[in-house]
Amino acid sequence: MLFFVLIGVVPFCAAFIYALLYSFGMVGVLNTGFTLAFWKSVFASGEVLGSFGYSAVVAAISVLLSVSIAMWVALKFTRELNKRFLSFIIYLPLAIPGIVAAFFTFQLFSKAGFFSRIAYSFGWITKVRFFPDLVNDQLSIGIMLTFITVVMPFFVLLFLNVYKNERVEELSKLAFSLGANSSQVTWKVTIPIILRKTWTLIALYFIFLLGAYEVPLILGQESPQMLSVLIIRELNQYDLSKISEGYVVAVIYTIVVSLAAIALFSRKKMTLNEI
Amino acid sequence: MFLEVKNIVKSFHNEAVVRDLNFSLDAHKTLSILGKSGCGKTTMLKIVAGLENADAGTISLGGKNIDNVKPGKRNVVYLYQEDLLFPHLNIFENIAFGLRIKKFPEKEIVEKVNAMVESLELNGQETKMPHQLSGGQRQRVSFGRAIITSPSLLLLDEPFGSLDAGTRQRMQEFFKSLTAKYQITSLFVTHDLKEAILMGDEIAFMQSGRLKVYKDKTDFINDPVTGVQNEIGFWENLIPGKVERETLRK
Repeated sequence: MLFFVLIGVVPFCAAFIYALLYSFGMVGVLNTGFTLAFWKSVFASGEVLGSFGYSAVVAAISVLLSVSIAMWVALKFTRELNKRFLSFIIYLPLAIPGIVAAFFTFQLFSKAGFFSRIAYSFGWITKVRFFPDLVNDQLSIGIMLTFITVVMPFFVLLFLNVYKNERVEELSKLAFSLGANSSQVTWKVTIPIILRKTWTLIALYFIFLLGAYEVPLILGQESPQMLSVLIIRELNQYDLSKISEGYVVAVIYTIVVSLAAIALFSRKKMTLNEI
Repeated sequence: MFLEVKNIVKSFHNEAVVRDLNFSLDAHKTLSILGKSGCGKTTMLKIVAGLENADAGTISLGGKNIDNVKPGKRNVVYLYQEDLLFPHLNIFENIAFGLRIKKFPEKEIVEKVNAMVESLELNGQETKMPHQLSGGQRQRVSFGRAIITSPSLLLLDEPFGSLDAGTRQRMQEFFKSLTAKYQITSLFVTHDLKEAILMGDEIAFMQSGRLKVYKDKTDFINDPVTGVQNEIGFWENLIPGKVERETLRK
């Protein structure tokens, strides 16, 4: 317990307090004392709220698509995926770091990338500029594609595990026996059981993607930027007075994510208490 | 006869699991089937439920051939050894599952489920989740969930196998009263000799995929292959006086 507090809690709290003091101008090279100016400035610009909304939408769509595709794959190919070779293949993407996945996406989907060249070779496009914007694009397709590639296999493995442990196959057969058809078994038995067991992890993945850095840095656009990229940009500015605004964003992000995590785990604890 | 099973054969990887299965059963009766693990009991039940396809043979229920009828349309409910309640539904919704699937009106669902909860002696437990009940209570919910759909045939695969001796005895009595009340026709599979004799109106013994149905319980008790005579001998040998007399004679 003491070890956990020393390793996990103390450094986090120290960093948070430092960021909080910095955001109120109480520490920092050019800061002179307590001020709300940096907070006012951040809220006045609206960039943070925009970045928050943008990050949340990108993370939510990525998680939603990852979960949906993973659910379909896990239920459609349950038996096949339990074979050694396929289970090895599905583990493989988990070993690829986010930054490498982002580079792969860039190499494959940029205007000078692999698919653009193939499209040109087949005569589907006559000029590079006709290839659709799939990286550094307005719709963040590249970011979401990479997130899905990295996250989806994890959900497939998770769902397969829950399918086995919760005896979903037997429960499905029982539901058939009670008169359910395939669609009813899927929507009223299989999916609710799997999601009930995994929703906490799905929510945590949403928080994780909300704060992702490398992928949106490589594949994102100039504006709006995802939260982590915005924070690092602010902290690394030449204008030292802007650093405090970076800390304001970091503090807001930390508070929101911490509250979300507390809400998630207090709900989990409540369920355990009910037992 | 209400249920007629004729010449059913089933093999897995060239190994015969069920051989030439023939039996019939009147409506509202229970046939208990005794057999050791791996003798083909579960496969037989799954074939009747439509969860496994037989290699040969026919099954008719209520005078209709059901060989090509899907499991959900047979009105035959197969209950596993474990209670297998839906973990995401509370007790009320578990019992109501079959009615909701068949799109019964809400008012009728509430009335039927409340009546079933009463019969199951589970008043006040309706809003609890399955993990909050004891093993015996969960098993009762499992019966209620099956019986409320008025199945033509109930298939029970060692339903009390995971219960302790006391609960098991109470559940046997409870099941008897429930099947009488709701006029259930059932196949009751068990590897427990006493349970097989207690639970069935008729009794059968399964060995290496072959099923033998007995005329009556006396016939079953007298057949040495069923193990009843061995069991009687075992208990007689345990009577201390008799054991001592035998020891002195030696």
